[in-house]
Amino acid sequence: MGSFPRRLRPASLPALIVSLAALLLCLPVAAGALRWVVADAVWPWDPAALCAERAGICWPFITEKAGLIFFGTYPHDLLWRPCMASLLLCALAVLTGLWLSGRGTRPGAAGLALLWAAVLAAALVLLGGGVWGMVPVGSLRWNGLPVLLLLSLGSVALAFPLGVLLALAREQDRNRLTAWLAACYIETARGVPMLTVLFTGIFVLPLMLPSGSALPPVAAVLVALILFHAAYFAEDIRGGLRALPRGQAEAAQALGLSRRSRLGEVLLPQAIRRALPSIVNSVIGAYKDTSLVVVVGIHDLTATARMAFSDPAWRAQALEGYFVIGLWFFMSCAFLSMIGRRLQRREAGQ
Amino acid sequence: MSRGDLPAKEADPHISGEIGGGPAILSQISYDVRVYRYGDDSGVDPHTHSPRTDSIMKPFLSCLLLAAATLAAPAAFAGAVLDDIKSGDRLICLVNPNSPGFSVPDSQGVFQGFNTDFCRMAAAAILGDADKADIRGIGFSDAMKTLVARGAHMASRSITRTGTRDADAGMTFVATTFYDGQGFMVPKSLGVARAADLAGATVCAEDGSTTLLTLADWFGDRGMAYRVENIADKTARLEAFFAGKCDVYASDVTALNSDRLLAAAPDDYVILPEVISNEPLTLVTQPDQDLESAVFWAFQVMLNADRHGLTSQNVEAARADLGSQPQAVARLLSSDGAATEMAAKLGLPGDWAYQVIRQVGSYSEVFERHLGAGTPFALSRAGTVNADAADGGLMYPYPIR
Repeated sequence: MGSFPRRLRPASLPALIVSLAALLLCLPVAAGALRWVVADAVWPWDPAALCAERAGICWPFITEKAGLIFFGTYPHDLLWRPCMASLLLCALAVLTGLWLSGRGTRPGAAGLALLWAAVLAAALVLLGGGVWGMVPVGSLRWNGLPVLLLLSLGSVALAFPLGVLLALAREQDRNRLTAWLAACYIETARGVPMLTVLFTGIFVLPLMLPSGSALPPVAAVLVALILFHAAYFAEDIRGGLRALPRGQAEAAQALGLSRRSRLGEVLLPQAIRRALPSIVNSVIGAYKDTSLVVVVGIHDLTATARMAFSDPAWRAQALEGYFVIGLWFFMSCAFLSMIGRRLQRREAGQ
Repeated sequence: MSRGDLPAKEADPHISGEIGGGPAILSQISYDVRVYRYGDDSGVDPHTHSPRTDSIMKPFLSCLLLAAATLAAPAAFAGAVLDDIKSGDRLICLVNPNSPGFSVPDSQGVFQGFNTDFCRMAAAAILGDADKADIRGIGFSDAMKTLVARGAHMASRSITRTGTRDADAGMTFVATTFYDGQGFMVPKSLGVARAADLAGATVCAEDGSTTLLTLADWFGDRGMAYRVENIADKTARLEAFFAGKCDVYASDVTALNSDRLLAAAPDDYVILPEVISNEPLTLVTQPDQDLESAVFWAFQVMLNADRHGLTSQNVEAARADLGSQPQAVARLLSSDGAATEMAAKLGLPGDWAYQVIRQVGSYSEVFERHLGAGTPFALSRAGTVNADAADGGLMYPYPIR
């Protein structure tokens, strides 16, 4: 923030002209958006038939299709389960974000890991059922929001520790072969498009496995996402390790700390803190990349929105469908980058 | 005797005998062709074998083919996929996740549509309950890959039956449920009445689809220049067309009818009379002769129901009073009729034909329900190839007897 001028008074005449031009360009867009959202809107309590007459946002469509957009083809008499799972996963993400940026009570690293494991397991059980009298629901029906949250949080949760291990393996100099293998893996994973791996996991793997032992698509996709993001996290963390002054490692050694304490208590915490902005960057990327799973037949929010306005009765409401999921992605990404900014500010303050 | 009972040992020598003779005949033909094309024997043609090579290749080839045939035989003869459907008590059927009128989830997340009803038809015939169809929405090429990877039992997904697709292993085309074709939509202001006037036009079409290939063939054959505006997302593509970014919108005629209604002023657009491709949209199953028969004949039941005026509404009454029904209806519905006899051989529930009609309906019922006059598509079967054969269409009910 520091280098950005906060004052609104333009510094010079050219700056004034540019500002005015930008404002003029923005005004019609803002006016059009306002007209669409407020002036011409068909409100939820209006009859749906009104949508054909007015040009504004059609709320009856959104209220009618909200269940479909957020939870897709999940059996609608069991909607409380994906609802609960989504709430749990959202709460987990918000808590972790606030905790990282220094708000609220801190559960500690072990507590946090335990919390993540518990919440992810609970979400899996809620979605899949099959225990405690809950009707089993196949993973192909986990559509929309819960599958997006599960895949993005699940892949971040498991890719991060794997990334730490890979970064350490690549940076250490005691075993050349391990370092070389880790480097090979990271470079390969970053060099192959994720879609290739997704396709291989979903369509080629089942042909090679004996029939009946095939991985369900959601699991195959999760594995592919974890393996991929681990490589990116590894590079972020390696950057943090590289940025540490050499004296840190030497000082720790001079204190007679064991190798494990040197890494776990001196080097890694500093490296991760330094790498946090780029880690947050990777997390946002991973979150948005999750939408790629659409191409292998998993219906995330974009796919369910498209289902909603493919209903013959609502085919003119494409904009509303994309508006709803756009709003969701805007809010969730805004939250992530807010956490990122807080972290940066905290880092700069130290 | 059902095909599942056919002893494999009897079949094998027969197959090997045929294959043994095959390459010899082929080599003879290719040898003649070479002589014919080159006029002498000295010409070296890499595409044909010399008779000497053939004598070595023949036993090798027949061994290879025999091995392949032996490997493929169990899959082709046993009703393994049908058994899998029955033991799992569900039929996994792939549909398009968002094809208006054909398959799209309703507000409760349950798939509805013309194609969806053929999944339900198969489940009603095989499991006696249409609701046991496990209907899954999946992308186009993924659907075929999933079938080949044995991740589903069948697909009812507007897949065009083509020669090369039919030749691919791992899936079988069974019954054509809808005959579609590619057409053009233009704004009236363009002043075009025939597709032949489209030289130099900019066409909005879907990237990576057969639509583009058909366009290339059609314009290429006529030596007409054209430009394609590739837009993958359908909503964006239609918006581009309605905004005047392209002169022509190319798609299947069925889709054109409903897409036109999305314009702010649908009457400003016309669909040109020419249909420039044949798209027989066909049900696809995993290769399994029993399953193929079950699906094919369940579809024939729906066509026969049409012919005899049976619907989901009146079939119960018809079965209760078979004496007043024509013989063909009795063969479909009575407990000792031809349909029941088929059921015993194919391993279907005895009343499969009745269940298909009662739970899903006749072909025209399904057509009217999802695409007919009461829907935004307002399609009519009359006068099209989708009409009953008696009315000049291609829907020809095979006899069940």
